[in-house]
Amino acid sequence: MVVRNQAVLTARFNKLQADPTDIDAFCQLDGYAGLKKVVEMDKTAVLDELDRAVLLGRGGAAYPAGKKWRHLFYAKGQPKYIVCNADEGEPGTFKDKTLIEHDPLAIIEGMTIAGYMFDSPQGYIYIRGEYRNLHRCLRKALVQARTANFLGENILGITGFNYDIKIISGAGAYVCGESSALLNSIEGKTGRPRVKPPHLADVGLYLQPTLVNNVESYANIPVIIREGGAAFKALGTEKGGGTKLICLTGHVKNRGLFEVNLGTPLYDILYSEKYGGGSSTGRPLKFIHFGGQSGPIGAVAQLKDCLYSYDGLWANNLAIGSGALVVMDDSVSIIDYLNSVAAFFAHESCGKCTPCRIGTLRILEALEKFQKKEAVPGDLEVFESMLTHVTQLSACGLGQSVATSMVSSLKLFPEEFELAINRQTAEQKEVLW
Amino acid sequence: MANLTINEKNEIIDRYQANPEQALNILVDLQFASTDGYIDQKTAQLVAKRVGVTETRIYELISFYAILKEKTQARYVLKICNSAPCRFSGEPLVSRSLKEILGVNENEMTADGLFLYHGIPCVGACAQTPFIKIKDRVFPNLTAQQIVQLISDLRAGRYPAL
Repeated sequence: MVVRNQAVLTARFNKLQADPTDIDAFCQLDGYAGLKKVVEMDKTAVLDELDRAVLLGRGGAAYPAGKKWRHLFYAKGQPKYIVCNADEGEPGTFKDKTLIEHDPLAIIEGMTIAGYMFDSPQGYIYIRGEYRNLHRCLRKALVQARTANFLGENILGITGFNYDIKIISGAGAYVCGESSALLNSIEGKTGRPRVKPPHLADVGLYLQPTLVNNVESYANIPVIIREGGAAFKALGTEKGGGTKLICLTGHVKNRGLFEVNLGTPLYDILYSEKYGGGSSTGRPLKFIHFGGQSGPIGAVAQLKDCLYSYDGLWANNLAIGSGALVVMDDSVSIIDYLNSVAAFFAHESCGKCTPCRIGTLRILEALEKFQKKEAVPGDLEVFESMLTHVTQLSACGLGQSVATSMVSSLKLFPEEFELAINRQTAEQKEVLW
Repeated sequence: MANLTINEKNEIIDRYQANPEQALNILVDLQFASTDGYIDQKTAQLVAKRVGVTETRIYELISFYAILKEKTQARYVLKICNSAPCRFSGEPLVSRSLKEILGVNENEMTADGLFLYHGIPCVGACAQTPFIKIKDRVFPNLTAQQIVQLISDLRAGRYPAL
């Protein structure tokens, strides 16, 4: 039974402390109950259950998992591949790392369920190079699963249910978190995004239909199968079911990973002792950067009644993204903060498409000008149209989300931008071509 | 890669059946196995030959992926975070202290070849700022004194595994 206000994804964390890869202990704690149940079910009923669960993709884009699975289910062509995106690179996020560290078999079970659903021969876990120390843990978990015949040939004694999982290492490229770039990287190429469409569920890894889901999404799958879609949805809200792993960082007392029910009041997360515990500096909290560097920024003062849920945040033009909450107090100037964000994107742009390659640099230059208070009238307008260009013209999610935090900041703190402009100087007009 | 023999290198390549699609994993493993912390040209050529791609393709990977290096690295590469969450919650203490203690700027090696520090975007230790990461080990929640202590411990060779 899963109930609100109780750990779901992190339920096994303490109990598996001695050895997170211990498969016997894992099985005693509901481990593989999902897989055992799914093989008794009708596959279309499983898809219906996923739809009922309203599991929104936990990597950041919040794409409904049910929809993605259904697309792949009806996609033509075999073999189909299962890929787990563990290239967690959003600054301020470490939930996937924690999941892999403490309950790797949950992810493996989720991927094996996917393997069964799509008759896939092979799954891949693409894990970022910075998490090298986690490879060992994952490898050990895979060996355990193979020994217990949860991977390999004729899994659970079912003839023809052959499936295995490989670990692939990334090597320090944020853009590889983009699913098509990730697939290129698995194929041994440089990790630059592909032009989409076609959808990866039709043409993915080695040009075969491919499912790419985030670590946390896979960990949720066994819970949905075990407990049913409706029970899973009840853990969250109407528009997004389940619990969410959140990463609290910045100027809060209790930094770290927490599991919350979707629909928990945001102020509880910030101020209650159970979660954030309020400001660590004694100064009032000013803004929250949601979901990593590519996410939007919200002003704490305006979010008193906001619920931490997909719909609750959408209503405030915010988003859950990866689950990161970078909380900053009022000593941080929004322009300084955005400079840091812009520097990150200028560094991580893969260079494939011009709007992102050049645009991220121009955005950074503009913000540096604001920071030095050297901006002239007209600069703000040029800056805003640059944000629009980069968002609308970039080829992949990286470029398209560079401006998210900046656009929300312009709305929330216009006075800080205004102060950066020297109104005594001549106006600069955007040069159109 | 002075410390790796040709046989040891081949062993790593064989671990991946010299599969060209696994070239990235091969390069990462090679770099981590060597004490030099980078892929020298001879090794790049060996990998290219063994997996059956051109040397240019191997260098395309090395230059694209930030973890792979083509130049010799310091004995201890101190990684610090340069992303927003850390920068505004304590990281400057680390970069300031390191600059002061080591007397070099970011990305510059100390004259004795022992240390180099550089900022990278997020290692997933955001809840432990200020930290320093060396290889796979994170030294979390550092104070100014602890940073001084860590450097002198490293100089004294107290962390042989790093």
